[in-house]
Amino acid sequence: MDFLNSPRWIDVENWPISWEIGGTSWFPFLESIHVIAATFVVGSILMVDLRLMGLAAVRYKISTLSKELLPWTWGAFVVAIITGLGMFITRAASHVVNPAFQWKVVLLLLAGINMAYFHFQVYKNIARWDTETVTPTQLKMIGSLSLFLWAGVMLAGRWVGHII
Amino acid sequence: MPDYFTAIGTALSGSFLQDGALWALRNIPGFPPIIQTVHILGISVVMGSIVLLDLRILGLAVPSQNMSEMTRRVMPWLWWALASNLVSGGFFLFGRPNRYFNNPVFGWKVSFLIPAILLTAAFYFLSRRQENYWELNSKRKWTAKGIALLSLGLWIMVAMAGRWIAYAEYLYFPA
Repeated sequence: MDFLNSPRWIDVENWPISWEIGGTSWFPFLESIHVIAATFVVGSILMVDLRLMGLAAVRYKISTLSKELLPWTWGAFVVAIITGLGMFITRAASHVVNPAFQWKVVLLLLAGINMAYFHFQVYKNIARWDTETVTPTQLKMIGSLSLFLWAGVMLAGRWVGHII
Repeated sequence: MPDYFTAIGTALSGSFLQDGALWALRNIPGFPPIIQTVHILGISVVMGSIVLLDLRILGLAVPSQNMSEMTRRVMPWLWWALASNLVSGGFFLFGRPNRYFNNPVFGWKVSFLIPAILLTAAFYFLSRRQENYWELNSKRKWTAKGIALLSLGLWIMVAMAGRWIAYAEYLYFPA
């Protein structure tokens, strides 16, 4: 694809900030923050997903857990995106053609769609089973799909470093 | 590095543990990134258990969750995650023991990890003595907050040091 092989990705690698990050301790610094933020994203989502599956924290309302954890998830996600972009620009042209990176983007989008479906479709009727211990199949599916997709994001993310 | 520490690396070199770990890392397709991901997912559980609990105790997150109930609920997840990480980390540790036991950053990781586990275990076993143990009087409430802050710092530093093991040269041979 022209878009992926565009020389503009090399221009990105040549931005002064890309050189600064890639050639200094900024890179490992960003990477360690990225890992901590990403594990926090998954850790906070895990609690909600397990509740959706009826496996943990069943005494709490789904809506309460979701409302209290989501700001932390989003906060950590923003940190992960910023630090991730910081690393991305140092090797932009290689990343866009790296299959692991491509998988990661696809899995992130799928996780986002799953989450949007939950929040914009299912959540409207949340009051119906907010307090139920045994959740309907639909919620179990959303919860397990979320865990599966996020585990995939982590695997693909880790694999990026083995290919680059 | 202390001698007893590097001696562990020497002792493990050439052992059957190293042979087994290297065999798995070399022969199972995709094993290194997969096992690293298992390790990172274990850290995610650490974040979703003890780190969230620390934030709860500090009054920063999940205010609706009851502290002692949350402690009872998340701790088993933490112990399983730590056991899993011991195994997943073991493959790399046993695979190249000298790389780790001569690396000061790995030394830091261990010196954050051991107090983190001991502090968390102490907090947990005290909480099991009595219902709402950490909320019964203001002295205990503040002790809990102090422990939570220290615990939070220690667990974050364990993860941070873990990632920097691979970057020791940045710290010891700066450009």
